[in-house]
Amino acid sequence: MTETDFHLIQGLRRQSPKAQQQMLGRYGNDVFAQVARLVPGLENAEEVYQDVFIKVFKNIGSYDEEKSSLKTWISRIAYNESISFLRHKSMPVVYFEDREGEAEKLSETEVEATFGQPNQETVQLIRAALKHLPPDEHAIITMFYYEEMSLKEIAYVTESISTTVASKLSRTRKKLCKIIKMLQS
Amino acid sequence: MNEDKLIALRQQDQNLRDAIRQDEVERPQMPADLNARLMQRMGTKPQTTRIRKLWPWLAAACVAAFIVVLIAPPKSDVPTGERQVTAKVEQPAKVEPQGNELLTEVLPEAKTQPTTDVPVKSPRPLHKPVAAQPVAVEPVATEPLLAQAPAPVETAQPDNETMTTLTERDIPITRPENYQYTPEELALLKKQANEAYLKWVELELEISKCNLEQTAQK
Repeated sequence: MTETDFHLIQGLRRQSPKAQQQMLGRYGNDVFAQVARLVPGLENAEEVYQDVFIKVFKNIGSYDEEKSSLKTWISRIAYNESISFLRHKSMPVVYFEDREGEAEKLSETEVEATFGQPNQETVQLIRAALKHLPPDEHAIITMFYYEEMSLKEIAYVTESISTTVASKLSRTRKKLCKIIKMLQS
Repeated sequence: MNEDKLIALRQQDQNLRDAIRQDEVERPQMPADLNARLMQRMGTKPQTTRIRKLWPWLAAACVAAFIVVLIAPPKSDVPTGERQVTAKVEQPAKVEPQGNELLTEVLPEAKTQPTTDVPVKSPRPLHKPVAAQPVAVEPVATEPLLAQAPAPVETAQPDNETMTTLTERDIPITRPENYQYTPEELALLKKQANEAYLKWVELELEISKCNLEQTAQK
């Protein structure tokens, strides 16, 4: 933990408005992006965003710097708030579900060929396919590929274990590939 | 799949990374005033706690005010009303005396100004019995006394024929000039009250009948 983080946490524990502002400035955009990724609709995302930071300011006393970084801790709160918002509001989310295990039948070579060879058309297809993923899988794949978080960090955020996250990532890759093939056909 | 392999895949999956990056770039940006709104929302929270801290004091003030009202003497104990005094002044004159020795003591106000509206000052010592000065009072009218409800009164012994001094505890009245009554007067008051009550009941019945008739006609 850096010295600035330490001072920031101290300030937050004193409920200092200056420290709160500082935290919003530092992590606000990332949290909003994370929330907006999971929760559809700008108004909903704003509501969840506010709830996340109110919870962060309220529970800063329970933050353990030995377990995770401050950013990961906030991400965990944001993830949980977003998922519970979706559950409580019963938001209609339409996503692809591989009931027959078709995606699992795809070979690793096939998947690597789809994602590895740079192709603008494939990129657009992947973007379309990402919209068909359930929110939790979309969040995991973004945390891994975009935010470059480690499996341990993702496991902490999703309240899971590293091996589960790894198998979920592998499955999601294959699922995306399957969706792309369906879109192509 | 282990972590090392996954990390290697992260580097390999160029298309996937690009797609996610493009998605994130196109995602709607955070509104500029969102943090200000959040801070405003945070700022309004302490106000509720402040109200919570204030309300016990308000409640205590209300209780204190209630106690003060409760302790303060009732208005009926304070002899100030003009109309009440004038109305009650007439009452002793309505009593039918059966003999000179049974005459009541009536205050001078009652004798001299029986029907006027002149305000009469009540004597200060309310608990002091009025000195026994028998005065002959001519009965003026025999109208029933409606105001005086029958009250449990210790009747005086008839053999002695002495006047009993009644206290405020015996009769629920606050007029000092009405403090003393003879047993006969009390009996009469009781009778008149009963008659008045009967009349009132009859009247109520009449009203009910009229209402019923009117309803039936409609």
